This record gives sequence, C-alpha cells and structure tokens, in this order.
Amino acid sequence: MAELREVVYVDGVRTAFGRATPDGLFSKTRADDMAVKAVRAVLRRNPQLPPEKIDDVIFAATAQVGDQGLTLGRDVALLAGLPKSVPGFAVDRMCAGALTATTAGAGEIAMGAADFVLVGGVEHMGHHPMGADVDFNPRFIAEQIVDESAAVMGQTAENLHDAFSYLTKEDADAYAVESQRKAGTAWDEGVMDEIVVPMSVFTDEGWTVAARDEFLRPETTMEALAGLRTPFRAGGRVTAGNSAGLTDGATAALIASAAAAGEIGLVPKMRLVGFAYAGVEPELMGLGPVPATHKVLERAELTMADVGLFEVNEPFAVQVLTWCEGVGIGPDDPRLNPYGGAIACGHPLAATGVRLMAQLARGFRDRPEARYGLTALCIGLGMGAAILWENLQNGA
Amino acid sequence: MLSPPTQFKLQRIETPVGPIALVTMDNGEDWTKPNTFGEHALRSLEDVLEQLKTPDWRGLLLTGKPFVFAVGADIDEFGEITPERARLGGAAGHELFGRIRDLPFITLAAINGAALGGGVEIALHCDYRTLSSSVRHFACPEVLLGLIPGWGGTQLIPQLIGAERAVKFIVENPLRQNRMLSAQQALEAGFADELLEPVEFLDESLAILIQKIEAGESKRRPRADLSDVAEVCRKARARLDGQVHGATPAPYRALDLIEGAATWLLEEGYRAEEDALAELLPGPQAQASVYAFNLVERRAKRGVGVPDAAPRRVDRIGIVGAGLMARQLALLALRRLEVPIVLRDLTQDQVDEARSWIAGELDELTRAGRIGEAKARFLSSLVTGGTEWDVFADCDLVLEAVFEEMRVKKEVFAELERVVSPECILATNTSSLSVTEMGADLEHPERVVGMHFFNPVAVLPLVELVRTPETDDVTLATAWAVAGKLRKRGVLVRDAPAFVVNRLLARQGSVITDALDHGNTVDETDEAVLRLGLPMAPSVLLQLVGPNVANHVRHTLHEAWPDRFPLSATLESLATGGEPVVVEHAPRTVDEIHEAVLEAMADEVRHMIEEGVVAEAADVDTCLILGAGYPFWLGGITKHLDQTGVSQRVVGRPLAELAAAS
Repeated sequence: MAELREVVYVDGVRTAFGRATPDGLFSKTRADDMAVKAVRAVLRRNPQLPPEKIDDVIFAATAQVGDQGLTLGRDVALLAGLPKSVPGFAVDRMCAGALTATTAGAGEIAMGAADFVLVGGVEHMGHHPMGADVDFNPRFIAEQIVDESAAVMGQTAENLHDAFSYLTKEDADAYAVESQRKAGTAWDEGVMDEIVVPMSVFTDEGWTVAARDEFLRPETTMEALAGLRTPFRAGGRVTAGNSAGLTDGATAALIASAAAAGEIGLVPKMRLVGFAYAGVEPELMGLGPVPATHKVLERAELTMADVGLFEVNEPFAVQVLTWCEGVGIGPDDPRLNPYGGAIACGHPLAATGVRLMAQLARGFRDRPEARYGLTALCIGLGMGAAILWENLQNGA
Repeated sequence: MLSPPTQFKLQRIETPVGPIALVTMDNGEDWTKPNTFGEHALRSLEDVLEQLKTPDWRGLLLTGKPFVFAVGADIDEFGEITPERARLGGAAGHELFGRIRDLPFITLAAINGAALGGGVEIALHCDYRTLSSSVRHFACPEVLLGLIPGWGGTQLIPQLIGAERAVKFIVENPLRQNRMLSAQQALEAGFADELLEPVEFLDESLAILIQKIEAGESKRRPRADLSDVAEVCRKARARLDGQVHGATPAPYRALDLIEGAATWLLEEGYRAEEDALAELLPGPQAQASVYAFNLVERRAKRGVGVPDAAPRRVDRIGIVGAGLMARQLALLALRRLEVPIVLRDLTQDQVDEARSWIAGELDELTRAGRIGEAKARFLSSLVTGGTEWDVFADCDLVLEAVFEEMRVKKEVFAELERVVSPECILATNTSSLSVTEMGADLEHPERVVGMHFFNPVAVLPLVELVRTPETDDVTLATAWAVAGKLRKRGVLVRDAPAFVVNRLLARQGSVITDALDHGNTVDETDEAVLRLGLPMAPSVLLQLVGPNVANHVRHTLHEAWPDRFPLSATLESLATGGEPVVVEHAPRTVDEIHEAVLEAMADEVRHMIEEGVVAEAADVDTCLILGAGYPFWLGGITKHLDQTGVSQRVVGRPLAELAAAS
C-alpha cells in the first residue's frame, strides 16, 4: 500500500444561519441552492484551484430527501457549475455529517485517491423537521434497546442534567449568555465576515440578503433566560435560550493533499492530525465527544495541555458543560469556542462540522502560539466525533 | 384568468457603501403567472418611490420574482378603453418610471427572467442593467398588438442602442412572428452592461451595483448617435409598406416616435407616446389584436370542446403515403412523439426515398445543433415502411395523407381496418373531403377523425380536428392529445366540406377568380386583398397551393353550395397550366373587389356558424390566425368585419353575436 499522504484544510465558509420557521430567512430557499452558494464561495476565494482538479464532492445531510435528496455531492457539483467530470456523493452521520464528509475526503486524499476534495453539509430543518420522515423501528422500545427519550434530543439534554445533577439550569444559562456575548463580539470585530457568505434569498416580502445569523442575541441576560419555558419537561432545565435553535444553513470547505495544494500555490490553514468517532448510551448522546476526544488524543500521543484551541458544538449548554467535565477543562477556558457557538448561531445538523473547522482555522490565525486544535460534536443515537488539527498559520 | 396584481416590494439592504433599496416585482404566484403592470402595480410602485425619498439611500436594485422580471402592461385593462384612459395609463407609467430615472442615486435593473414591453421599459429607466444568461424572452411586442412601447420605450431604446437596432427591436421583430431576443442577443444589441450566470445572478448584480457606488460612478444618460435616424426610418417605412400595406398604423407610428427621439427632450417624447397611445389603444387594430392575443394565447391553448374522455396511448404511428405532406407529418410526429413511425406507399422506392428525406432532415437538425447526433440516429431508426398494408398492424393511430379522392381514401381505410386493431384510430389529413363518408363503410366508424394540418407543417400551428357524427369521445380526445404533443393548437370543427380555413379562403378565391373572369388583372385582385395586410398575395398563395388543388377544392365546394362557389373559367384554365380566361369584360375597381371579398367572407362565416361547423366566430378567427397567418390586427377576420360594419350590412348583426344552433 502506498504511504499515507498529509491532508490539509485550505478554506471553508458558510451561509448565514436562519430560523427553521415558515417566516425564517431561508424558508423559500432550496437546501441544495444554499449548498451551491457555499461551494461557489469557496471556489471564488481560491481561484488557484482549477475546478477540473477537484476529485470529489462530499456533502452531508441528515434528511436525505426532497431538496436534500438527490445524492447531494453530485447534485451540488452539477448545480454549482463544476465540470461534469467531477463526481460526488452524500453522507449522513447526523450532526457530524460535515465532519464525516471531511474525514471521508481525508481518507481519499491520504490514500492517494484524490488531491482536492470539496466537503460540506446542509440542513434545511424548516423543510425537513427532525425525524419527519423517519420510521423508528418498534424494536428499539419493545426490546428496550434504547430509552424512549433517546429519540428527542432535548430530552437527552435533560437526561444529562439528571446524570450530572450538580450542573444546574443557572450553569447552563450562564454558559449560554457567554456564548451569545462572544459571538456578538466576533461579529463586531469582523471575524464572521470572513466565514459567512451573504446570499440573496426570496421571501414573501421580496428578495433580501441573508447576511447575519437569525439566532444571534448578544444582549442576552441571565434574567431574560431565567423566565423561559422548559419545553422538553415540566420543571426541566433545557430552554430555547440555553440550546441551539432549529436552523437552516449550509457550509463548504476545501481539503487537499499538502503536496498538491502547495503545487498550485494554495496556502493551507491547518493540517489534519487525526480523528475519532465513538459511541455512548443513546439517551445520553451529549457525552459522545468525551470518548471521541480521549481517543483522538491518545492516538496522537497528545494531552489536553497540548491543545491550544477547541471548537465544540453547542446543541445544549449542558452538553458542553459535561464535555468540559469529561476532558478536565473549565467552561470559561479561553481556548473554548472563542467566537461563541451554536447557541448563538444555530445548529443546522449536518452542516455544523465545517463551521467549527472554519472558526478553528480563524482562531489559529489569531493565536499563532496554539499548535493543536480540536473540532468536536455530539451525535444523535449516542455518538461523538472529534478531529484534531495542527495550526499551519504560526509562521513555522 | 385575471393575473394577480404585481407588487413592488422594498427591502433595505445594509452594505459597506450604505443602505441599498432592493426592490422585487412579485405577484405572489409562481413563474407560470408572470408579473404584469396594472393600476395596482403602479400604485405599489408609487408607494415604494415615496419610501425612497428619505435621504440615506445609496442605490437601487430592481429585479423580479424567481424566473420572471416583468412582462409589461396588464393586457386585461386594454379592452374597450377610452382615449382618455389610454392617455392616463401612459402618463402614469411615464411619471413613475421617470421618477425612477431621476432618483438621486445609482439604479440597476437585474433582469433575471422574461422581460417584455413595460418590463423592458422600466429596466431602461435604470442607469445600469445586468442580464441573467438564462433569459430567453426579451422583447417589446407592442407593435404586434397594434400598439407602441408607450412607457418611454420608443425614446430610450433608440437613445441607448441607435436607430437601426431600435427599429429592428421595436418594429420589425414583433412583425416577424413576434421574435424575441435571448439574453446573449439582448447583450449584443446593447441593452445590458453585463451578462451573468443565473446561479448567483442577484448576488453578483448587487456586487456590481455596490462596486459602481464605491467607484463613485454617476447616473447615466445614454445618447446614441441618431444622425442616421431619418434614413433608417425611411427605409423601414418602405419595407413596412411591402409587408403590412398600411393596414395597421402602429408600426408606422413607432417609426415616427423613434425618429422624434433624435431631437425631442424625453418629456416631449413621453407626451408624443401618450398621444399615440390615446389614438392607437382604443383603435380598431389594437382592440382586434388584444382579442386575437386572447384567442391564441389563452383560448386556443386551453382548447375549446376537448371531450372529457381519457386519451389512448399512442406508441406507434402509421402514415399512409410517402409524398411531401406525408413526410412532413412523419418528421413532425417523429420529433415530437419519438415513437416508431411506419410509412406505406405503392413502391418500395417511394418509401425509401421518404425515409432518406427524413434522415436528411434529421441531419440538418443535427448540423444546426437542434438535436444530438446519437438522438438523430435513434430517431432515424424508428422510421420503417413497406408496400404491404400489414406494416400498420400494431399501430395505435394511422394518419392517411394520400391523394384527395374519396374512392382512394375509402379504399385506404378499408385496407387499414383489415390489419389494425378495432381501437386503432384512423385519421385523415383531408383538406376538403367528407370525413363521415370516408368512414361510412367501416365496421368501426367511431374511430375515424379528421386531423387537418396546414402547409408548411413545421410553421403553421393549426390542426382542424374534424368530428363526424360517429366519432367517439376517446378518438377525439386522443386526436386532441396527439395534436398537443405535436405542439399544435387544435380547433374542433364539424365535418363539412373544406372545414374552416380552406372554405373561407376558397370563398375569398371565388370573388377573386370571378373578378379575373371579368377582366380584372392579377395585380388588381392581389391589391384588393393585400390591403388587409395579409402576409401573402392571393396569386402567390395560389401558386403555393397549386391551382389544380385549389380547383379541386372549388369543385368539392361547388357540389355542396353551387351559388356561393361558382366554377371559374380562369381557375379551370390555371389548373391545367393555362392563362386566365376573360369570360366577359366587366372589370370592377379595386375598392369594389375589396368590399366584395369582405362581404363574401362575412356571409360564409354566418353559414359556418349556422351549420354548426364551428361553435362561434372566435373559432373561425383562431383558425385563420393559426392556419393561414392572418394578422392580429384583423382579429382573425370577424373582428374586422364587425368593426367595419360589413357584418351588420351582410348578416344584420355582428358575427360575434352569432352562435351555433346546436
């Protein structure tokens, strides 16, 4: 077998993230058109790459039906105007869809089967409400293979509060306030303008431009969050304020073999060091990133102390808090989600992975002293994913 | 049928150069119901313009809902309009579009889809224009409707693209089967600044606008060199005379306005357009054109008289005969239906020649890039044929196009019935014989139907669908469905000699040959008819059809109605290659012949409706427009006959008021 080749992350973008409601920004926009927008933005930003050199297009969606149903990678490649010689496929690992697209592409590159791969994800949760077309096997419940609550993500978050009863609603709200504040600062400082591509969208009020996340509330306070309903359980702890809303959004990134990128003058931002997926109890799915993080660090023979930056998804504040517990860092650790997280921007399931990568790459630039960084997510049905990256923007 | 009102919807977009007004024209429907400008729409535009008065705006981008820009004025507001209202409608557009032009910031029209008439004109009032490369309909068709582009089009178009191109766009294209420009052609003609890919069209258009604002670019007032305008218009008038013979004032008026654009201030041009609208819009030609437009674009598309029955599948088509008409029909069916086609004629040579003719036509289409080479090979392979009747055994529909003689046609149907299934539809392309008689001796006459196509088949969209008393609903529904798939428009007619188009043209011909029999010249009779603005002189048409065929039709009609269709010595002579024969020297004036032609046609339409050949006058008009190329401004013919009082004189009331007895 050929020697494995180095895989690098070159660039990544996302659309603004919108509310998955009938009056949301993207309600009249097709999911595949959103993915096309992200793909074309990546190509426009990297004109050194001749499109015919792209070896594969891998796109993730959790709901692979309707406007996300036509073998997305290929559908998006054709609609984006890529040469017809460029193939593509679709993947699904729920919330880790785009991360899985990335590691699948990385595999192709490492094996020498590809030089350049476009990866990304899209989830139009307005068009495809979670679980809408899913037919749950009755055996799950009849044979007690999983707890009933495993099917509803908000209930798994309540389960985390039960399991770690010292993590209170106030802890979760405090984390959420901080996430919103950090995201607001990032927008103010122009960080997001480098990652978010404005897109014109048709609405009942005519065309408008989706340029800013609809969930962003930098002015959020503890007081405001205290009064919110707990929709998943009477007297519960999980609210709309301390979790990510249902979101429409798309992301896309370019990964490449280090050598091929160098040959055409692309300047990669990060090198892929390793990745890991892990499984946990489905009703405690939020714990997934903990074993995934341990696994990827062990394999790389590194410790948490070696990692200078973390981009961890925030479907629920309590989920991040349990991850902090599990890996031994504080929720206020400055290395954690410096630009805020999904609580502030939203979480379009399969799309989120590339958002984390794009923010990590930007974070590396702001922190040249950070050598390693981690992108991690929890995944429905009890899984976790983690990719470990090395900073290539430290002047080394 | 009424289109929902189009709204102008304003969104404020914050950009690095400041707030930009993103205005969308949207009637809230999908692309099948395009944006139009009626009174409602103009009021909505006025509201937006009010909101644009606040001082902080830096630019405006005007675009349409997905796939459509705007297709112009709401034609439903044109009927029965007074000169005052026509003038006011023009002035309202001028006032509002003029305000767009005078906005104190840069404006850009992002033409994302079909732009017709007023849609083009509103875009011309913007400083810059981008075009999506997917646009296939960019035109000002007003002249076809007996109007002029009256919201600044006649003034701004020449100033933007020059006299020569403006005349072609405003006057000549509408009269060439309403030719429209693609995005690429519109760009080349000078209408737009940029042609952009559709995929990110609006984003890129917005980026261009922002870039222009950033670069400090100014408002634009294009002034093309119009020093040649008088000469260009003079030549165009001469061409027009040869084409429409003064029968419709609109194209001439448009030329006057284009000529004026060279010297007038825009405000003066606006007033001149308003004068023209006040005269033209309530006038007979425009009113007839609006009627004709509704017939062709709405009524005929819908189909009147389509039976409720579900059509049968047609997966194999037989054509009896391999002559010119048969070949054209075979090629059309092959291209549109892409099913096996079986030909039969007396000798294998004739069949082979027809097959190679079809292959040659497919080659032509391949060379022109209309179909792929592989597709052409496949289609070619679908055409088979022979000399035996059993080649038709598995056909679902057999269309005969053999010599126009009842005995021959009846033999054909009898032979066919022996080999085909009882459900196979037997269709005839006869132009004048009785379809009922053709099927009379068959075991299953209920599957016989007339499908009368018009020559050249590729050009004329009409099919007269002839129902006999025996024809069942499924047969008629199938014929209708096949006509639709062939992209033809069907008009239902009852079986009667020569149906509609040929009967009317023959009646007209009987007046003409009578004049020739009485010593009038061909030039005189041609002039008498061309005065209507018809596309072709009767003498030319006669040569095209063939005098012998015309005479054959005359005989058929003479048998039915000897008084109205007398035999003609001249036609008999022409049919055998001779010269016109003067029976008696008593020539009439051209005016007299013209009147006689109109009166004869009014009389014949009355007979057709009374006999129930068609249900109403609208069917006659649809047939003449789609099957004989009669112009919109005559409204077929009955609108013109009603407008000019001929119907009143001949029939005692407007033909529009007649309805079939049944």
